[in-house]
Amino acid sequence: MASVSSATAPAGVRAIGPRQLVLGGVLLAGLVVLALLPQYFLLSSEQRTMAGVFMFVALAQGWNLIGGFAGYPSFGNVVFFGLGGYTTAILMAKSGVAFWLALPAAAAVGVAFAVLMGLPVLRLRGHYFAIATLGVAEGVREVVVNLDGLTGGNSGITVPAVGAKAVTSYPGNTGFYFYFLALALLATGVVWLVSRSRFGYGLRAIAQDEEAAAAAGINTTRLKVAAFALSGLLTAMAGAMYAFQQVTIYPARLFSVDITVLMVVMAVIGGTGTVIGPVIGAVLLQFLSEWLRTNYTDLHTFIFGGIIIVAVVLLPMGIVSFARESWAHRRISLLDTIRAYRL
Amino acid sequence: MTPILEVEQLSRRFGGLAAVNDVSFSLAEAEVLGVIGPNGAGKSTLINLITGHLKPTAGRVVIGGRDVTGARPWAIADAEVARTFQIVKPFRELNVRENVAIGAMFGPSRAGSTREANARADEVLERVGLAEKADAEPGGLNVADARRLELAKALAMRPRLLLLDEVMAGLRPREIEAALELIRSLKDEGMTILVVEHVMKAILSVSDTVLVMHEGEELVHGKPHEVMEDERVIEAYLGKRYAKRMRARREEAGGA
Repeated sequence: MASVSSATAPAGVRAIGPRQLVLGGVLLAGLVVLALLPQYFLLSSEQRTMAGVFMFVALAQGWNLIGGFAGYPSFGNVVFFGLGGYTTAILMAKSGVAFWLALPAAAAVGVAFAVLMGLPVLRLRGHYFAIATLGVAEGVREVVVNLDGLTGGNSGITVPAVGAKAVTSYPGNTGFYFYFLALALLATGVVWLVSRSRFGYGLRAIAQDEEAAAAAGINTTRLKVAAFALSGLLTAMAGAMYAFQQVTIYPARLFSVDITVLMVVMAVIGGTGTVIGPVIGAVLLQFLSEWLRTNYTDLHTFIFGGIIIVAVVLLPMGIVSFARESWAHRRISLLDTIRAYRL
Repeated sequence: MTPILEVEQLSRRFGGLAAVNDVSFSLAEAEVLGVIGPNGAGKSTLINLITGHLKPTAGRVVIGGRDVTGARPWAIADAEVARTFQIVKPFRELNVRENVAIGAMFGPSRAGSTREANARADEVLERVGLAEKADAEPGGLNVADARRLELAKALAMRPRLLLLDEVMAGLRPREIEAALELIRSLKDEGMTILVVEHVMKAILSVSDTVLVMHEGEELVHGKPHEVMEDERVIEAYLGKRYAKRMRARREEAGGA
């Protein structure tokens, strides 16, 4: 009887207890604060900084799906960012398409490219996969540079943002604050759903032992490509918003390896394969980076790089797993965890 | 009635080495086939060829009347086939229950929800005697429990054909007895089972027929008692001199 009734229940539904209520309350309060911040507390430039933070939350979550859950460390996710940005800029500048139509088009391009690239590249594992994705991203950048009739080559392309030619009125710093906030929430929501679903379990199984996963009936090709496509979707949407925000885009900016490295580092430091880890990693590192840039302009990159190295060496499992472990043992277990990871 | 599994002239070469060479047999429903042979006889390769983890260089694999030669492992799983691995392959960052639930979440008899999959995992863990460790991490299990987990992951898929790759290796006599008892009860429920073992004794009591492999080829295929008395088998296992001594001793006993 029990199996019959639970068979009809939707996946993963659990009773709502006090813990869920508290969590829901905190989330709701956080959302209200985030919604009110621009109007009452933040300067326009601070809103721009926050938009950058939200963008990296979305990028880190996008990477988390393929690099964290599926265990395929993509070093070319910026390719989706760049393609999403260029799709948007070209459609808005050359075809006069409104941003709200260019955005789903960019998302579709991200998904399509992820599937096309994923089918061959996801056959590789580990370092080989990382190198192949890096190579594809660099290759696409070169193609974009050379298609200058369409892309404007190295000098780039400018989205009509003001005046009579503007197809969608420029939303300004407050507008982009909300665009990127919505995207960060969408990305985190997607990751949350994945983490509780059969799809998420399948990806984790693939990450931990692909041969055993296939023997358990998991269509590993299909799941990996789906995770990559979802990653491409979120990343391309971020690129679309970024292109509109920046107005003028060029290949060196949209296909920068720095962006890939940042999303990887944020997800890893926060905690890959978790829902909240990439959020924590993106928020911490983006604020840190901004603060260093303002206060130590000359040494910014040097100090930022050093801090990342220390963080990865001390907390290779990520902040979230470290916090969970410490909580489980009711003590700060830094030394133990370091020992456990044989550093 | 169509056999559950037909293997026809199956071969797999690795370069110049024929790991499996021209092996044929068929298995009817609720039949147990024991596959034995010394190290390197091709037993694990045979399983890998049936389950799609390796592609055969020649021959056919037919499951339930359908030719599945060269199909991917998940397609084989969809044909209601489950297997264990000789070197156990737990999902290390999932707990024991979740490990087993994966088997119930995918494949042909998939559960409707992750919760139902977990419930089914608990039933299977109960059956293999691993219920108390449901929340444990697989990395902390001892040899016997790790083998039980490997078996539970396969059983959670509710297969019609089960391929066991040395699930009894490293177990103590009492644990082997429990494993054999489980195999018998699965057979009684109509499951078809192929058991690969290095140790001959364990397998003979549960197998309907036994296939002895040697250097990739079928050496003998027959009833357990026939196989046990076959001189070629003794020779393959214990060497020519031992076989000669055994024969001499038997003749002596016969002559007296």
